[in-house]
Amino acid sequence: MMIGSDKPMTAQRLLALLNYTYLLLVMFVIAGILTAAMTLQYVNGELPCPLCLLERVAMLGVCFGIMLNFRRGFSYQNTGFSLLFAIVLLVISVRQSLLDIYPRPGHEYIGSAIFGIHMPVWSIIIALALLTAYAIKLAILGDDEYLREADVSEFPAIRRIADILSVYVIAICLINLVSVVLQCGFGECHTFGYKLLQ
Amino acid sequence: MMVAVFATMSLALICGWIGRRWLAVALLATSLVLSIWLFLFEIYSPEYGFRMPWIQTELGSALSAIRVARS
Repeated sequence: MMIGSDKPMTAQRLLALLNYTYLLLVMFVIAGILTAAMTLQYVNGELPCPLCLLERVAMLGVCFGIMLNFRRGFSYQNTGFSLLFAIVLLVISVRQSLLDIYPRPGHEYIGSAIFGIHMPVWSIIIALALLTAYAIKLAILGDDEYLREADVSEFPAIRRIADILSVYVIAICLINLVSVVLQCGFGECHTFGYKLLQ
Repeated sequence: MMVAVFATMSLALICGWIGRRWLAVALLATSLVLSIWLFLFEIYSPEYGFRMPWIQTELGSALSAIRVARS
């Protein structure tokens, strides 16, 4: 049976499954990274700098595009949102790494290293990994219509996990919003302490 | 400003979740614009920003030293 293209339906279904699995994995990894960053913040007391907070926003923006793919069906417009925020993440993290190579006197604090690499450098790696993964996905899966025709409801297990993960990402964003209000108030952000708790 | 960035992103995610696509996209775009504005402010503000004047100063003094040595 052929639907929408010359690929047999089973192959289309498999490719759609791969596509949704890939998106789920990306969102899972980003949720894990944000959770690790928040653990460092709340457990170790390492307050995020302004650029670190903007990097978190960029990662949440990548998740936004993926979440829309699960909620409203696959669309390359949603992929565009994710790619846009991946580029924002890359630009901010490169700038921050350049800053940390030669820190401002009195602002040498850059947080603890994970596997010997600091968070800004990890952010560069994450952004490059996201862009590379999207490029590979587009190269392999192409822009065929079947990806837009295949609804995620055809894969109930993936749909369920994606829903849970999406709610978790929204919760992360809301927790960060409260945290930012406490840390920055409605003014500039600093890493000296939670402004509203002092 | 950072609060506004996170607030718009939170609203965008919530609107995306409940199916208000275009409102979600508008909020996402707002969050993106605010993020870029804040990023530029952070890196260029002479008071709060990261213009790295200490590096420029050191480069300036190094260039002065080179000029003095040449003359």
